[in-house]
Amino acid sequence: MTVPSGPASAEVPAVRCRSLGVSFGTVQALHDISLDLAAGRIHALVGQNGAGKTTLAKVLGGLQAPDNGTVCIAGNQIPPGDVRAAKSAGLAMVHQHFSLPPSFTVAEALELAAARPESHSVYRRTELYRRWQNEVAEVGGTNVLATRIRDLPVETRQSLEIVRALASEARILLLDEPTALLTPAATDTLFERLRGLRDDGVTILIVLHKLREVAAVADTVSVLRDGKLVLGPSEISGVSQGQLSDAIVGPAPDADRAIAVEAAANAEQQLLLELVRVSSRESAFEPGLASIDLTVEAREIVGIAGVEGNGQRSLVSVIAGLSAVTEGSVLLGGEEVTRAPPARRRLRGLRLVPFDRNSEGISRSAPLWLNQSALRLIGRRRQFPLISLRQYKRQASEAMDLWRVRYDTVAQPAESLSGGNVQRLVLSRELASGLEVLVAAQPTRGLDFSATNFVRRSLRGLRDAGAGVLLVSSDLDELFELSDRLFVMYGGSIVARFNAPYDRQAVGDAMTGALR
Amino acid sequence: MEQVLATTLRSAAPLVLVAMAGVFAFRAGIFHLGLEGLMITGAFTTVAVGDATGSVELGILAAIGVCMALSAVYWWVIGPLGANVIIAGLGLTSIGLGGTAFALGAIFDIRGSMFTDVVLPRPVRGATSGPGVIISEHSILVWITPLIVLVAWIVLRRSRFGLRLAAVGEYPFAARSAGVNPSIVRLQALLISGALCALGGAELSVGALRNFTENMTNGRGFIAFVAVIFGAWHPIGAALAGLFFGLADAIGIQSQINITERVPREFVLMIPFVLTIFAVWLGGLWRRRTLEAEAGYAELREPDY
Repeated sequence: MTVPSGPASAEVPAVRCRSLGVSFGTVQALHDISLDLAAGRIHALVGQNGAGKTTLAKVLGGLQAPDNGTVCIAGNQIPPGDVRAAKSAGLAMVHQHFSLPPSFTVAEALELAAARPESHSVYRRTELYRRWQNEVAEVGGTNVLATRIRDLPVETRQSLEIVRALASEARILLLDEPTALLTPAATDTLFERLRGLRDDGVTILIVLHKLREVAAVADTVSVLRDGKLVLGPSEISGVSQGQLSDAIVGPAPDADRAIAVEAAANAEQQLLLELVRVSSRESAFEPGLASIDLTVEAREIVGIAGVEGNGQRSLVSVIAGLSAVTEGSVLLGGEEVTRAPPARRRLRGLRLVPFDRNSEGISRSAPLWLNQSALRLIGRRRQFPLISLRQYKRQASEAMDLWRVRYDTVAQPAESLSGGNVQRLVLSRELASGLEVLVAAQPTRGLDFSATNFVRRSLRGLRDAGAGVLLVSSDLDELFELSDRLFVMYGGSIVARFNAPYDRQAVGDAMTGALR
Repeated sequence: MEQVLATTLRSAAPLVLVAMAGVFAFRAGIFHLGLEGLMITGAFTTVAVGDATGSVELGILAAIGVCMALSAVYWWVIGPLGANVIIAGLGLTSIGLGGTAFALGAIFDIRGSMFTDVVLPRPVRGATSGPGVIISEHSILVWITPLIVLVAWIVLRRSRFGLRLAAVGEYPFAARSAGVNPSIVRLQALLISGALCALGGAELSVGALRNFTENMTNGRGFIAFVAVIFGAWHPIGAALAGLFFGLADAIGIQSQINITERVPREFVLMIPFVLTIFAVWLGGLWRRRTLEAEAGYAELREPDY
């Protein structure tokens, strides 16, 4: 197969697939998908969590073999599940999860990902640097080449994923939720870049969550729901926002679903969480906390804003009891818990939605029911030591059904769930009974918009039921909408405190350290 | 002093060779605890085939073949069959230790040790005193071990194959999305690993000595594995670690000769192992920060109370 150069001709669609079907166990992930994507345009693909967007992207990229159906890239039919064939037909993928090995230097990672005809099997370092210096010009210049991937900020890693994809001279770019980890400013830069690529004749298929982003970047839009293509590809100008969200959610919208959260806060206790001059050691990723004072009272949502990496992770893990306090004290409901282990804090009514749901929120290899029941198992010390597995499994499946986790059986390992479903699983566990204080770190990151709304309504519902919520988020709109008070973190300290209504400019200045 | 250095080189060579085997496997993501079994299989096959054919070269070729075949079986068990890597590796070690002892009895009707006339060539001989002792009486394998380390370094750190290997070990998803089949790369790594173990075993039986003895590896495969960890799975680092363990061994042997009247023999025998534990602890201290970063998030650590 030859690599097509220059813009593909308009008659041959860049990507054509016919009656694609994929199933995992009893779950039909894709059902009879037929789709033509015209060359030289930006196509958006939207849908709820678990609608099959990532699976479709993987099938097109050759990472997942379909059960039936065919894929043609620029007119060449691709053998099912053949990454190399898809690549040599000119298609490259930018994954939802980063695909560059963390310990590799940038030059090594690019060399791994993209073979060049002039590459020998043995290389010298200077030779690698020379080969890749042009490609990295846009992402920080040549001195980034010797940096390890894990030491790069998340935006640079994202840009490198695109560099990697384009390095193999791709004419078709598949981006799977590239904006999930990006700040709004970095998202704008990414979209600018994509438009530039499109104008150079590159075809782009981008999986997105937010309709605002679809409107901002896409030429056409397609909607997946429950593994079926329910809309498109249609010109973006010919589809209204309302039509789109109807197509995404389907005939039974869950907009008015009851929020089944209850808070166990007792009425007398007002001050639920208190941090008094708390300091902690710096971690490999973040500054430590520098004398933080913070309170969360009953019936309020306290927002924490800040550019990522300014101590938010340290704050959450200090409250959760996962990292040590060097100075100061942490109080839960008036009781000192500075040195108490996480389980005791949980018994005091603390609940946690952690930053990184895959590594901190679940046990990836444990079955769903065990992940879901984990909280019910602590604090059983004075109860009968034996438990009923059947009862636990039933409770788990009820809770997961309520949160609309898409799963096959309660016995499947948690790592088999898609990203959004993992977040729903974590929420179904944490937002259960006994909650007094919730620490929610990026609770809506990676969720589709109906799930996002559900989470936001739940947080409000918790507050109204008497709980306190500490909401850490990088989404300013979310913070402005939900927070009763808003603190800004910078360099491990709280540098500004705001009350509603919020002044976006002032909050933004505080986030970038302009107040200092 | 010269004698200690000479013994160091002789003790270190098989460790370094097997440590290279361990580095290849480790970088492909395999915690290879079958090194010991492959090493003793290599030692036995060299002696058995070498003695039967009268050719040490044929013996070593046969050893390489047998060890690569066993490695392929190991790959098949942990890869396509999905067995636990550590358990299967320990199983491979048991098969090697038990199998060679059994074969010694079944084929040659010998218990304990089998002596042989075949021996690896020794390029420099005859020095009895002075600095010449350091390089004298070493087998050809000791001489080419530094070359093998250099080649291992080039392959692992300066070749596209090395990049694929490291990607498979660290982050298979990255390898897959670059169009690499992780399973095939693991097989290649294990085959290389098997060949290197065969050389390490051969050096032990027909390089430094002229016999095969049941359990003659005596934990060297595991010490080589420790050298891999201690050397941060870098070929040069692991080679230096192997050299260090060789030195510890040499000091142990030398002090057995010199000071056994004053110090209990058991204590002297402990020296190499105590040094090994100490070295591993030290290596852990040095690398604590980088390991933390590699584990993903520092918050995952146990709290400090």
